[in-house]
Parts: sequence; C-alpha cells; structure tokens
Amino acid sequence: MNKHRPHVYVLPEDDANRSLANGFLLHPQLDLRSIQVLPNVGGSFKVRDQFESEHVVPMERYKDRNMILLLDFDETSNRHEIIAKVIPSHLRERVFILSIWSEPEDLTRAGLGSLEHVGSKLAEECKNETRETWDHALLRHNRGELDRMIPRIKKILFPN
Amino acid sequence: MFRRIYIHNYRCLENFELPISGKPSTLLIGKNGAGKSTVGKALQLLQRMARGTNRVGDLLSVEDFSQGRIDAPIRFEIEVSIRGMDYAYKLALELPAGFKEMRVAEETLVQNGIAIYERNRAQVSLNKTFTNSEAKFLVDWHLIALPLIQEQSDKDPLSIFKGWLARMLILAPIPSLITGDSKGDSLFPNLEVTNFGEWFSGLLAHSPAAYSHVDKYIRQVMPDFKDIKNPIIAKESRSITVQFQINQATISLPFQKLSDGEKCFFICALLMASNDAYGPVFCFWDEPDNYLSISEVGHFVMQLRRSFDVGGQLLVTSHNSEAIPQFSNENTLLLHRRNHLEPTQVRVVADIEIHGDLVNALIRDDVTP
Repeated sequence: MNKHRPHVYVLPEDDANRSLANGFLLHPQLDLRSIQVLPNVGGSFKVRDQFESEHVVPMERYKDRNMILLLDFDETSNRHEIIAKVIPSHLRERVFILSIWSEPEDLTRAGLGSLEHVGSKLAEECKNETRETWDHALLRHNRGELDRMIPRIKKILFPN
Repeated sequence: MFRRIYIHNYRCLENFELPISGKPSTLLIGKNGAGKSTVGKALQLLQRMARGTNRVGDLLSVEDFSQGRIDAPIRFEIEVSIRGMDYAYKLALELPAGFKEMRVAEETLVQNGIAIYERNRAQVSLNKTFTNSEAKFLVDWHLIALPLIQEQSDKDPLSIFKGWLARMLILAPIPSLITGDSKGDSLFPNLEVTNFGEWFSGLLAHSPAAYSHVDKYIRQVMPDFKDIKNPIIAKESRSITVQFQINQATISLPFQKLSDGEKCFFICALLMASNDAYGPVFCFWDEPDNYLSISEVGHFVMQLRRSFDVGGQLLVTSHNSEAIPQFSNENTLLLHRRNHLEPTQVRVVADIEIHGDLVNALIRDDVTP
C-alpha cells in the first residue's frame, strides 16, 4: 500500500462485515494493493468512535486516502445520520458509509449465498456500475452513498 | 481439488476428516499442538510417495501410531477431483506382532468408482479396464505400490493421479536457508524451499511465460524491482540475482542477500505462477505470514487466496492476527485438542458460537469446539 497514491481503507464493524469485504477483495480484477481492510471494531458506534479518534487526523494528512465504514444498521433508520455526524465536512467527499439494513447474515438467509460470494458480486457490480445485488432490500438504502462513492473509488480499485 | 481427506491413527489424528471439499482456500487455526502441522506432515507423506519414496520405513515409524496404538492400522484415505475425474486412494498400514517395520495392509486406487488397482498385503490386482490385461502380482509388503506400478502413458489415470499428488506443494519455508543457488531444475519445491533455485529454473523451463507472472507480482510488492537473472556460475550451477532500479541507479543483489520476508514474496510469486503454469495445484503452506511485516500480511494472504480462487486449492495455517481475518468463518477450521492423550477435533468456525471478534476470542482463548 502506497499512502501517497489513491487508496481505500475499509473499517468493518464485525466478522460478518469483514467476510463481505473479503469477498469484495477476492474479485480477480481488483487492485489489492490499493485497498486494505482494517481490523474489526466490534459495533456500529465503535466504527463511528474509532473513525473519529483514529482516522480523521491521518485522513487530513494523506489526501489520497478514502475510507469506507462498513456496518449494520440494525433496522434503524437514523443510523446513517448518527454516524455521518462525526465526519468533518472537509473529509466528507472521501468517507462513505455502507451498511446492511439489518445484519450481513440476513443476506445469506435471503438466499444470496455466502458472505464472500455476496461481497464478490458487489465488487463485480461496482466494476460494471450495475446494481442488481446492491438493489436488494437489505442493501438498496446505500444508493446515495454508491452514487457518491463509485465515481471516486472505481478508478482506484479497478484501474484497468 | 481434494474432496475428502481422512486420516486415522496417525499421531494426533484419529478418525480425522478435514472438511475442505469445494473450498478453494481454507485456513487452519488452533493452539500449538492442536495438529495443524501434522495435517501438513500427512499430506507431505502422500506427496513423497507420489514422488517416488516407496519404502514404508522411509515414510513412517512406530512413533507415528496414535498413542502408540499399534494394534490398529494407520489409514490415509483421500478423494480428489482432477480434470473432471474423481479419484479415491486408500492406504492402510499395520505393524503385526514381531515386525520392526510397518507393512501395507490394504491399498486401492479407484477412478470414478472403478478400481485401477486393489491390494491386500502383498497381493496386487490391476484392473484390465486400465491396463491391457488383468494382472495379479506380488509386491514386497513393506513397499507402497503407488510409486511402483508402471504407468502406461501420461494419460494413464494412475499417471494423472500420481502426477497431481506429486505436484502438491507442501511448504514451510526457512528463508535463511534459501540461497538461490541451483544445480538442475525441478517442479517440486521441498518443504523448506531450500531448492528455490531449482524450482525457479524448472518453472521457467516448463513455462517461460511464467516469468511475466512472477515479474508482475514482485513489482507490486517491491516497486523498485527491475528483473531476476539466473546465470550459470559453474558447470551445471546457477545462482539467482535480483536487480533493483530507482531512476538510473541500479543495484544487483544475490538472492541470498534478500531479507527473509522478501524471499517469501518470491516464493509466493513462484507459487502463483506454478498454479497458473502447471496447475491447478494443491498447496499447504504452514504459516505463510511468517517473516512478513504487519502491513504486508493482509495483502499477501489475500493475494494467495485470490490466485487459488480461480483454480487449485490452498490450505494454510496461521496464528497471525492479521492473517486470520483474511479468511471468513465459513472457510476457517478450528483444530482443537483437549490434551496430549486425546485426538484432534476439527470444526468449521462458522459452526462455533463466538462472542464478538474471532481474533479477540482467540486471544482470550474463548474459542473451543
């Protein structure tokens, strides 16, 4: 990982979110050297707190750093707003909150396959700019974040 | 790809079945002494047989019986899918009273449900479906038949199975012993990868295009990498040098001068290139995260996983808190042993109740089957 070139850090809430991220990284065309999944944090609000305490200052220092906060919404409609509050306005264009409406395991229960399989499909759709899986009921609330994120992230993760 | 690995009465593995069927990559975790490396030793034993070691006494000793239980046979049973064909190989070894060396009790190789050969003690029966005529003959019961039976051609199912087993890569590299010097070439790296130079030469002789694969990966992890040279330094001897370049300045280093971690990058590059060139291969790598800086571990393990996701099969062990999360709970297996008198148990981590993060639970020693 070269900190002085565009890169992405993913901050997952837990093991299940981490599995989704692993599947994303298994996509064969993704540039693995431009993305790093950080250790699990252990809760939605811990994602928020850790972002605020550990990542804001380095993000100000490294202008090519982007962050994806990957968490559960636990079927709570204001979770996005609560998390987004801690993102300073000057970093907002580089920070994205992606979530599962309830919890990632529900994607498997809904018949979408293993979490790694779902993650790989989400990566494929990011690359192709399609939204079949992203439009699933458990994921479609991410539409606004995806509209912001894909134009910025796609060229970093899928440069060819 | 392995569909089944069953081991019985071998060291700490009793009635042990490794659930890796259908998984391109799997992680083995567990405390020291749980049996992770023993799985590798069992696989290495099968690999050595396929590479030509045929004497039972050269492969196993009395100490390999679980708890010294010599009244029951040691069993190895594997099922493998190769190019759409299913192969099943079974080997049972026993130590009758008064014997100093184990002998073969049973041995069979089956392709798609039809026996290629069957063996009971010294008596071997070759099936005429796979040979010109049915044949029965005796083999010294201290010798394994698999490496001994003559292959008809490289399309012979025996040859295909044996070749696949021989090309398995069982790795536990010791970088400080890897010099990059070589005499001859090989597609068979040894356990410690001390024959890296031979492997490099063998791979490029087999598939010169593999160099581009190696080059591409090494450039990603070492941006100043320029090229690798493997010149002749004496009669039939070569020595690898690695050249680095920044702007117009270059430096050429003997392979042995690279750091331990850097040597592991090259092993990883050769492994991925081998899987591409003469795979799909099966690879067991005991603690691939050893020697790597913490910021590289995740990239390294995920790169390995990804290269086997499109073909081949990867089985790794780890204690590393950065390597373990590169796998998901569905492809992580916990090996557990209550004490030295009890056998290894294996469970898919997804089937174990874990409170919170897996790595933290492992640190707390809260993960038990």
